[in-house]
Amino acid sequence: MTDLAREILQTLGHNKLRTALTGIAVTWGIFMLIVLLSMARGVTNSFDHNMLSRNTAMIRVWAGKTSIPYKGNREGRYIQFDDADLRELPEENTKYVESVRSTISGGGKLSTPKGEVSQNYTGVYPSEFVPSRHGDLVEGRFINERDLSQKSKVIVIPKYYASQLFPPDGEGALGGRVNANGLSFKVVGVYESEWNRNAYIPFTTARMLSADTKNLQNLAVSLKNVTTEDDGNAAEEGIRNTLSATHNFDPKDDNAIWVANDFNNALTGKTAMGILDTCVWVLGILTLLTGIVGISNIMFVTVKERTHEIGIRRAIGAKPSKILTQVIAESVSITVLFGYIGIVLGTAVSQVIAALVGDDGPLLNPTVSLSIAFEVTLVLIVSGALAGLFPALKALKVKPVEALRDE
Amino acid sequence: MATDNQNLSGDSMIRLRDVNKTYQGAVPLHVLKGINLDIKRGELVSIMGASGSGKSTLLNILGILDNYDSGEYYLDGTLIKDLGENRAAEYRNRMIGFVFQSFNLINYKNAMENAALPLFYQGVSRKKRNRMAMEQLERMGLADRATHLPGEMSGGQKQRVAIARAMITNPSIILADEPTGALDSKTSHDVMEIFRQLNREEGKTIVIVTHDPGVAEQTDRLIRISDGLIVPPAVAADGITRPEACVMPGGNIVTPEEPSLS
Repeated sequence: MTDLAREILQTLGHNKLRTALTGIAVTWGIFMLIVLLSMARGVTNSFDHNMLSRNTAMIRVWAGKTSIPYKGNREGRYIQFDDADLRELPEENTKYVESVRSTISGGGKLSTPKGEVSQNYTGVYPSEFVPSRHGDLVEGRFINERDLSQKSKVIVIPKYYASQLFPPDGEGALGGRVNANGLSFKVVGVYESEWNRNAYIPFTTARMLSADTKNLQNLAVSLKNVTTEDDGNAAEEGIRNTLSATHNFDPKDDNAIWVANDFNNALTGKTAMGILDTCVWVLGILTLLTGIVGISNIMFVTVKERTHEIGIRRAIGAKPSKILTQVIAESVSITVLFGYIGIVLGTAVSQVIAALVGDDGPLLNPTVSLSIAFEVTLVLIVSGALAGLFPALKALKVKPVEALRDE
Repeated sequence: MATDNQNLSGDSMIRLRDVNKTYQGAVPLHVLKGINLDIKRGELVSIMGASGSGKSTLLNILGILDNYDSGEYYLDGTLIKDLGENRAAEYRNRMIGFVFQSFNLINYKNAMENAALPLFYQGVSRKKRNRMAMEQLERMGLADRATHLPGEMSGGQKQRVAIARAMITNPSIILADEPTGALDSKTSHDVMEIFRQLNREEGKTIVIVTHDPGVAEQTDRLIRISDGLIVPPAVAADGITRPEACVMPGGNIVTPEEPSLS
């Protein structure tokens, strides 16, 4: 066994260029497979993470302007949602609708004795704010159910405004007082976000400040009992029909209300992720095949080039099985060695990309599992053996006499 | 037949009886047309013949590198006929030492590894076969070249490595195909001297195929082959069998000066 290993090492070492060329083909194939799989895994992980971090069982509705005359009403009428919708939607659609929430904004500016910013307050329900999506709480807490039921005068502000309202660096903001719409609010939380600038107060408090109950801009409907796309469509239709009846517009009027079906979008996204995964596997395997075809080609050339040497070996008594073993062992050694390098390089590059992109980007934890690495190695060994087998069998068809004559 | 069988176990190393070989092709080529040949144990013989005479085919059959169609070939008492590739390889390995015109060394192995290669295929341990290879190289006066690659050696040195490789398995016969064909006259003479020495001192049976009359001269017996048949030796007036004069393609006439059968 060590003798065979020594023979293989000597042969491979003697033909460094050939060995290297073959090896690069294999390394490249495996490298691409690993990197592609890692990236696909990263995208999928990231997608799953985003989906999990927000409530996808939801349909959001915005009020629009009618475009079709309906029951004596002309087109061009603005639709206004009101507090009644928050009650009626769950009552009319008991199967799918869990709850409905909305937001009210107003005020125009926030101020403290030390500073002032032009920013509406937004009256919300506690579920409106999703950590890491809308921002990260750095101090205190968000609006809770108790605030909602007690109509508390509390406010959650972005850090960006905290430093302006409590100069110079926002120290003392938590527990401090902010004036909005003539009322004094207590700051119960400060959050940090790159894009979000909302100043959140309880929905009920905002309703108290604004007598107009027809000023809701949007409705966020939480769904229940939805698993398939059909469920999602049925829920959407139910919501549309209820709103159509209460606000007198044609249910087929796509401009009267704007509907975003987050649930169905997420389902579509999941399907797309599955397709992406399949595509990447197909691509990766094709790349790997290219590498294997490369090995086969080079093994053919190698064996052809060594016809004479094989002739010598057979003349002095090498049995065909010995020659076969040696050629196959050589090609398996090349594939495994360089394949392993490909796995290591591919994993390393994936890790570097992971480190560069970080956790917030479009890639999350872009790595392949150990089992995939093992599977790939197995594929390598088998393909290496096959790549060596056919050229070796061809080599053995040449009679030693003819091989020796071939100078 | 009974006497034949006795001869088999006697001093006949190579025994061919009515060996025929036809190459199948568009036009079948009958190359060997019934070869009868006996070579005794310990003989040093040469085989000469023009191109196309069947000389190479005969050598390939003697070396178990090729099959024949009919007849019988006994090597050291063993019938060599219709062998599978594995058996043929085993017999080649144990019974025959090859020496070729173009040396046929493996160019990335040093002298010692080349000489030791036949033992690799016998499963002899690396340590033992290298020691045996060194012994052979020492006999060839190449101990100081053991770690040299073929590319770093002269033709004569390479041929001596090849002879060391042929001798390492202690084979029944040594088959040399134009062993001096690629060498100058001085080196040719040295190589022939080695063959004679192996023959004289170890009683090794050696068959040399050549077209060089000078080489043929240095062997005990000349076997001529022409048109697929062995040319029968002429019996001279003094009663001693000697090969008849050969006319070479170049016009040279070969007549061994003295019968060297002892």
